[in-house]
Amino acid sequence: MTRWGHFAIGCAILVAATASTLARADDQDVIDYREHIMKTMGEQAAAISQILQQKAPAENFAIHVQILAITAATAKKAFEAKVLGGEAKPDVWVHWADFAKRLDDLTAATADLASTAKAGGAAAAAPKVQAALTCKTCHDTYRVEKKK
Amino acid sequence: MTRTLKIVVQITFVAIFLPAVVRADDQDVIDYREHIMKTLDEQAAAVGMILSTAVPGDNTAAHLRAIALTAQIALKSFEPKVLGGEAKPEVWSNWADFSKRMNEFAKKTAEMAALGKEKGSDDPALGEKVVDALSCKSCHDVYRKEKK
Repeated sequence: MTRWGHFAIGCAILVAATASTLARADDQDVIDYREHIMKTMGEQAAAISQILQQKAPAENFAIHVQILAITAATAKKAFEAKVLGGEAKPDVWVHWADFAKRLDDLTAATADLASTAKAGGAAAAAPKVQAALTCKTCHDTYRVEKKK
Repeated sequence: MTRTLKIVVQITFVAIFLPAVVRADDQDVIDYREHIMKTLDEQAAAVGMILSTAVPGDNTAAHLRAIALTAQIALKSFEPKVLGGEAKPEVWSNWADFSKRMNEFAKKTAEMAALGKEKGSDDPALGEKVVDALSCKSCHDVYRKEKK
């Protein structure tokens, strides 16, 4: 092989390796970002659950629900980029219409919950919590089970 | 069983089981404040990714609002003096300083959220405001135990 041949192959390998690394970095950002959102919802749902079990102060209930509603509204955008990995199953993008509808429903339900809690407090909103936070039904279909 | 023996048994029972009950309540207090602090971590990380242009900024205002709301309730979750978790005992031994910092944090994040809503993520002033408001490390260095 000529000297130029080696150079061309070297350049091709360098470009391929660099581009691949950059793509992975970008993909990891997408995964990290959506996981920040999902973990926020997990923390807020846990706080709400503690309040409903009278293990935490009820006065913060309306705020937790509001944070949950705000975060739910950001979730669909975070999954729009089709990047496999993290705890998301490939089915998120295979069945995007269903997944997106479920997130829209979550957004609507948590917004309604937040309005109810703001107006009437935990007592008024509590009966709606179970119907609004159906996290498990979606996780069963679209989330990879965490390893213990 | 004699009366004395009954009393001894009752005292032993209380001595064994009462601390377990207290520990459970204390763990609830710790868990609750950690849900709040983890929410702040996750949302601050999401904002950091947006400002570093690693992910799109469509959700900026929502993240800032979530942080501001969470900051508003954070101090309350530390009011019960329950040692443990990642909180150093200095939280309560220097309560005046800790609560002052938390109140400033709530005020600054509220201003940050208002600016984010008004100007959007492209405004150059927002980045400076975020850096000023989310000075988490200065407080963590004093009041948070380093994670192992």
